Amino acid sequence: MSWLTKEQSEYPYDDVLGIRPELRDLYRNFYGKLWDDELVPVNLLELCRLRIAQIHECDTEWEVRHSEAGISDEQIQKLQNWEGNQLFSPVEQAVLRFAEKMPWQHHEITDKDFETMRAHLSEPEVVALTVACGLFDANCRLRIALSVKQGKKETKAPAGAEQAIR
Amino acid sequence: MSTKPRVSSAIPEQTPNFGSALAHQPGLAEAFGKLYATFWGSNELDHRTKEITRMRNARVTDCGF
Repeated sequence: MSWLTKEQSEYPYDDVLGIRPELRDLYRNFYGKLWDDELVPVNLLELCRLRIAQIHECDTEWEVRHSEAGISDEQIQKLQNWEGNQLFSPVEQAVLRFAEKMPWQHHEITDKDFETMRAHLSEPEVVALTVACGLFDANCRLRIALSVKQGKKETKAPAGAEQAIR
Repeated sequence: MSTKPRVSSAIPEQTPNFGSALAHQPGLAEAFGKLYATFWGSNELDHRTKEITRMRNARVTDCGF
């Protein structure tokens, strides 16, 4: 990220957004709400976030790890081939099926994808998960467009109203 | 694209739309509303540029909504 002249912290994505501090703070609040309020079980959020990062080949998003999400190393290793893999529960498979269409196949999301998620999640949870996947997708696009790079980050949560976006 | 909404309206007597569906998560809806309103209300980028990019993005993503 050669174009950002201001001093950088250990959270360069947050630094870039902080060029417009009022928008950055509101974005932190919006994105952070998913994690702060656990609007969807956090393991589902984390799996979707990582799978979308993988599809975008977005290293900076991929390198962020939510240490308390309960995702095993084995699950991360097999994330690309989750379908039918018993490492992933039925609800995890349901949300991954939906999430991985968000980056490039959003018109191929089906009524059945939603019905399958609804078998496991409430309607408010499905709404929150849809917003979450949209934001995971957007974050990857922004990181890639802005050429934000950082090293591996293990963190309590990728975002929160009172913390820098990892 | 489905011909019927995939989530219901959380606002009584309103048909399902982006706002009434998001209302299933009022905190999230409020946070989004503040962010989006601030974006559109700020003058750093002129309205014409913002609107052209919004419309072009909708076209590229083939979003008829």
